[in-house]
Order: sequence, then C-alpha cells, then structure tokens
Amino acid sequence: MGQAYSTIAFDPAKCDGCGKCMTACASVKFDSTDTTRSLIQIVRSGGASIEPPRPGEFELALCRQCADPKCVTVCPAGALGKNGATGVIDWDASKCVDCLLCTIGCSYAGIALDEHSGRVSKCDTCDGKPACVPACPTGALRHITTARIYNEVGSWEDLFAPGLAGCQGCNTELLMRHALRRVGPDTVLATPPGCVPGMGSVGFNGTTGTKVPVFHPLLTNTAAMLAGVKRQYERVGRKVTAMAIAGDGGASDVGFQSLSGAAERGERILFMVVDNEGYMNTGMQRSSCTPYGAWTSTTPVGEHTRGKSQDAKNLPMIMINHRCEYVATASTAYMEDLYDKLDKALAASERGFAYLHVYSPCTTGWRFQSALNIEVARKAVESNFVTLWEYTPESGLHFTRPVNDPLPVADYLKAMGRFRHLSPEQVEHIQNKVAENLRFVRKIAEQADER
Amino acid sequence: MNTTTTEAAAHTVAERAPQLMLVEGNEAAALGVALARPDMVAVYPITPQTSLVEKLAKLIADGRMDADIVDAEGEHSVLSVLQGGALAGGRTYTATCGPGLAFMFEPYFRTSGMRLPMVMTIVTRDGITPQSVWGGHQDAMTVREAGWIQLYCETVQEVLDTTVMAFRLAEHHDVMLPVNVCLDGNYLSYGAARVEMPDQAEVDDFMGRKDVNWHVALDPLRPMAVDPLTGGSGGTGPETFVRYRRGQCAGMKNALRVITEMHEDWARRFGDSHRFAPLVEEYRLDDAEYAIMTLGSMTGAAKDAVDEARAAGEKVGLIKIKTFSPFPVEALKHALRDVRALGVVDRSVNFRWNCGPMFQETLAVLYRLGRQLPAQSFIGGLAGADLTVATFHRVIAETRALLERPAADEPVWLNAKD
Repeated sequence: MGQAYSTIAFDPAKCDGCGKCMTACASVKFDSTDTTRSLIQIVRSGGASIEPPRPGEFELALCRQCADPKCVTVCPAGALGKNGATGVIDWDASKCVDCLLCTIGCSYAGIALDEHSGRVSKCDTCDGKPACVPACPTGALRHITTARIYNEVGSWEDLFAPGLAGCQGCNTELLMRHALRRVGPDTVLATPPGCVPGMGSVGFNGTTGTKVPVFHPLLTNTAAMLAGVKRQYERVGRKVTAMAIAGDGGASDVGFQSLSGAAERGERILFMVVDNEGYMNTGMQRSSCTPYGAWTSTTPVGEHTRGKSQDAKNLPMIMINHRCEYVATASTAYMEDLYDKLDKALAASERGFAYLHVYSPCTTGWRFQSALNIEVARKAVESNFVTLWEYTPESGLHFTRPVNDPLPVADYLKAMGRFRHLSPEQVEHIQNKVAENLRFVRKIAEQADER
Repeated sequence: MNTTTTEAAAHTVAERAPQLMLVEGNEAAALGVALARPDMVAVYPITPQTSLVEKLAKLIADGRMDADIVDAEGEHSVLSVLQGGALAGGRTYTATCGPGLAFMFEPYFRTSGMRLPMVMTIVTRDGITPQSVWGGHQDAMTVREAGWIQLYCETVQEVLDTTVMAFRLAEHHDVMLPVNVCLDGNYLSYGAARVEMPDQAEVDDFMGRKDVNWHVALDPLRPMAVDPLTGGSGGTGPETFVRYRRGQCAGMKNALRVITEMHEDWARRFGDSHRFAPLVEEYRLDDAEYAIMTLGSMTGAAKDAVDEARAAGEKVGLIKIKTFSPFPVEALKHALRDVRALGVVDRSVNFRWNCGPMFQETLAVLYRLGRQLPAQSFIGGLAGADLTVATFHRVIAETRALLERPAADEPVWLNAKD
C-alpha cells in the first residue's frame, strides 16, 4: 500500500486577496515583513488591476508537493527529491547548482528564485503545520489531512473479497469495506437481506464474499441473532465483535422490533445501518426511511401521486431514546468523521448497544451518475438534509460537523433524478422539514450543552 | 468452544431438589431443562406456557441453574437469539405455544434448515381465531411441515424425562435437528403429579459432551459463510438446495432409531418408572379386534376407558403416538397388524381433509400396510374441552361399530352439541 500525503488546499471562492498567508510565511520562514519572499503567493488573475477584486479572481502559486514532481525530474544535480515519509519535495542547498531549471519545470510556480538569497526557495509545509493556513481569515486555505486515514488504514486487510457484485460506483460497498477493515477480523458479521448480501457478502452456492464469519439473518431478526452470538462468546470468555451491516428497510420497518428489543436490553452489538432510503436491492421500493417526495417504484410519479407522500422516519433519533451506549450519524463524504465514529462505536459495543447510521447515496435508486456519489453525500450534509452528530448517555448529543451556512436544499435535490418531478411546493415542504429536523436535533444538542 | 459437563457441575437442580416431588407439568419441563444444562434460554410469556419460563428464571436466579437468560421482546426474537447462541456453540432452549409459535414461524422454519440442535417445549394451545387461551394441538400440528422433531408427552414424569432426552436427541450427529417436546396446555402444564428426579451425575453421563456447532458455526477461529444463497436454475444452486433438504429428511429418518435407543438407555439408567414407549405405545393390543389411537395427555382417560371396556369383555386396545414427527410408520404398522377397525382421536383439525391430522397421517400408514381397514376420525378436546372416560367409551363404541359397517367420511366431533 503506497503512501498518501496531506496538502494545502485553496478555495478561490473564499479568497479576498488579503495576503495574510504571505505575511505569515515570510515572517515564519525568513523573519521578514517582505511578502515577496513568502513561499506561498496569492496572485490576481490577469495581473494587477484598480478594479475591486471579485471572488474567484485570485490564484495560488505554491508548491503542490507533487506525487510525480517535474522539478525533481529536471534537476541535473539531484538536489530535489520527494521525501517518502512526509511527502514534501526537499531541496538540498549543498547539491544545488543554481541552474533554475526546476523553476521552469514547475507548472504551479511552486519553486522560484529568492532574490534575497540568490537561490531557489520552496514550501516545506512547516513540518506539517503550515503557518499560512491558520493565518487565513476566510477559510480559503485548508490543510487537508484526509490522507492520514488512507495511510493509517490502507495497509489493513480488506475483509471483503474483491469483485463483489454491487452496482458500479456503489457507495455501500465503499462503506462496508472501510467499516469492516476498521472493525477487524475477530468479528461475526450479520448482513441481512438487502444490497450487502445481494452483492455477495454471504456468497452464492457455497462461496463466500467475506473473510470473517458472516451470515444472512432474516430481514427481521438481525439484532436478536447477533445478541445470541455475542452472549455465547461472553459466556465462554471470548472477545468477539458482533456487527451488523443492515439496510434501512430491515432496520426501520420489519426488523425494527428486533432492533428495539436488543437496544433496550443493551446487547453488546455494533449495529451499522446503511441508509440508502429504500429497498434498493429489490428494485427501489419505499421504506419508512425514504424521504418525502422521493420517487420509488412503490411511490411512483403519476397523475395522482408525486413520489412519497410522508416524511422519513428519523431512526437514529429513535435509537437515542433507547439510551444506547452510542448513537451516531455518519457519511462517506466525511471519512475522518466516519472513522472516528467507527472507533467509538466499536469501543461502545463492548459495553452496550452501539448504533451507527450512515447515509449512503444509491446511484441506481436515486438516479445520479455513479461518479457523483461523494458529491451527493456531501451536499446532503452541506444542506443540512442530513446532520452529522453523535450521542452518548453521558455527554448527550453533539454535532460533529455542524453546517451553519447551509446550501439551499434544492441544490441537493436537483443532483438526483428521484426528485426531478418535485413542484416548488414540494421543495418548500422539504426545506421546511430540514429546518424542523434541525431545530429538533439542535434542541437536544443544546440540552447536552447545558449539562 | 465446548464446555465439558464437569466444568458446569457446580450448579445443579437435582442436589437441592427432593428425589420425589409433586410438580406441575410446566415445572417438570423446567427441571428437565435444568438437568440438561443449557447455556442459554430465551423467554417470553404466553398462556399456558408462562409458568414454565417463570420457573426457569427462578432456577437461574437461585443459582440452581447456570444459563444465560434472555428476556426477549417477543417469540420471534426468542428463537433468533437462540439461533445466534447455537451458531456460537451454545446449548439452547425455549418454550412457547399458540400465537407465540405462530409469531415465531419465520425463524422456526429456518432452525431445522440450518440443522441447529435446539429444544423447544410447546405447551400446546388451540389456534386462534376463535379467540381462546386453552389447550389443543392445533399450534404444533400447524407447523408439522417445518422440519422439527415433535414428541408428545402423556404424563408429567414423561415431560421431565423427555425434555432431557430431547437435548441429546437434537445434538446426535445422525440427527442434528431441533426438537419440540409437546405437552398439553392446561392438562399437563398445570396438572400436578408425582415425579422422580433423575440423578444429575447420571444425567450428565447420559448427555455426554456438548457438540452443537461442529457442522455450522459463526466463529472467527473457523470463518465461514453461514447460509449462502442457493437455488435458482443455474450452477450448483439447485443441487445444493436439494442436498440440504435430503439431509433434513435423512436426519428425520435417523431420529426414529436414535429416539428408540435413547429411551432404552434412559430407562436402563433410571429404572422402569422412567420407561416410556419411544415411538408408539401398544396398550392391551395383543388380542384386540379393534383399537383407538390417542396423542398426549388424553391417553390417561382413554386407557381407563379401555380397561373398563376390557373388563366388560370388549376386545379393544389402544395405540398412543409419542413421536409424531418423524411419523413412526413401521412402529404404527406393527401396532395395526391385527386390528380390524380403528378410531383416531385428534385434538386439532386438518382443514384440507376434514379430519384430524393424526388420522390423516394414519391413512397413509394404512396404505403402506396394504390392508383396508375401517377407520374413523374423532375430533375432540379443542380449546380445553374435556376428554373424559365417558368420551372414550363413546369413541370405543363407535369404533366397535366399524366392525359391522364402513366408516363415515365425516369426523365425529366430540364435545359438540348436535
């Protein structure tokens, strides 16, 4: 498994060209107030102008710490090299012959002649804590550390077989591979009828799709069966994780009694619901988690009906009222958040019932291009259609990724074919429902803050 | 992981129990369960089973039984929890009846398909609707195509003994099937009788080593996919599915032999007061011209009636079915060998044939026997109605009449007002 690295990301829409990043860099690297010496340069597109700058007008000149760096390739002296540990392109002053070929090789103006020293200079990310990023007042600069997860978990064993038969670009497959890789091999995995066994987790005709013991519970009894497994191992003194990867239909509809009973009894289970908002495996039928207005094959769009006429059941909030050891919502668009919650849920499942509700856009059933999976997942959160939070009985509910300046929900809805038919009134209904849900969750979060 | 019997020896129900006791059928079942030392019992109350699981809970609370008790939120989860426990290697038990069994049906059917050795007492109750909480055999009869072994008890002692034996039967490698011990709601469940407690050490020896999930397991040390998709029309799907079903049938067939051997072993260890006919009991049948057939607790009254009829010079005998599933074809053929007329009393209804279920099964045996025999279906004891000695005198008289005239197509509805 290769190494992945962090990077400094730039959002031109947020940059107003204030230059504070350059001030910070010059100060930290050269103890200078001369921003021309800064290793990060913000430049106005099309050159200087007396017109007031507009958002999106500024560009970034900064070393991208390329994976396949041209500056290294063109250097005749071996003075530049990719550091395998940090990912930074290191410059060795003792070897440099000052030919400046690197400055021509780089497309990003990431390495340039420093007039003061007469030699090239470039960003070294301040040993992983770049001074420019906290100096930025608008959030246009971010030090993206998502790569940490890849480096940490990339070498962990993927406990599902390659070549599962999910739809192209399936978000659920992405989620379950990540989740089980984190939870590890000492696990008994329940995958009730739905997309997960449908793509082959329990295999077909004597094969298996999973490297841990795995089974098909009934759609109706996942939590109860897992409880029995876990209890027997506790009885004989063996530490085995009992985990479910269940669809929203089985959890919120026909399997709800079993789920509720196990949660009330505090069975030591990690119950992960993959919420693709319907019975997608059987051809996109409505579940109680299907949102208002959504087309499904049992809430079709016709002269008399315009998609589902009821709002979705808020299953994770219901699980909070079981006083579970841990309840959280998550999204594959926020992997660090997801992994953090997996860690907590796994630990909590040794003490009691841990419930993880992961929103999982369905490219087939929601009608969007498979390449847009993460985009759709992110917009759900950015519009507050989905809120990311976690709950424990001790500390109550806390938002983990609060969105205070949300997108209009229409931006989310229009990303998908299943909402294409919505009337303005229906969109308004959903927008109101988003606000109502948010008020509801916030109220509970405020109660936690008051403690 | 298997627990040997010695490891669990600290807890026993027998040590502190008097050797002779007066107990109700439900308590006898609970004591039998405790003697068999299950790892896990899952419970949910339902009339007339409730006092059974209450007794189990008390035995565990008092430390006389070492088992994990799961108070599940319904029968569906009761059986599901136990499936998980069995797949992780535990010996498992529950009890239910009537609507509870109906609610349980989805995992119930699956238990036999996964060949999970499990014991469940059915404290039999009639089917609803009409609404009733009283005894009858309709619940157990309704699930007879679900692949469970079903043993019907006549007495409270037989309930206790059969319950222990059922665990060994279920776990026998030639069987590997779940077992229902059926005891009549109300009559046996609440009927108190004298019972002798078997010795715990001898029971431990009888039970042998627990071996529950050698064939199918959810265990990280032995990772496997439990119950992958099979069937369909392609690949090895159909033949895999057929192999499962044939295996279930083979286990059922083997069970007839194992039940017989087990009853013999049990009686040898514990004495004649623990001797019960394993498959079919032949009562005063040697020179009988005609016979009546019974199932469960009604047999006591029926035997009294037969005794009185014998005293009056009637050549009548009695055939009691203990093992209803698998149906004991050869044993029943043997019992019927010289009988010239037959009356079969059922406490449930076969709606397809307008007769009792046991009657209908017996018709198939008569075909195998190759002998025409006038036989009459009697249906009685529904929803707790009494089947008294007087009732069986009527059954005997109407069966005797078949020596002279053919049987009616209609069942005789005992307890009916017409």
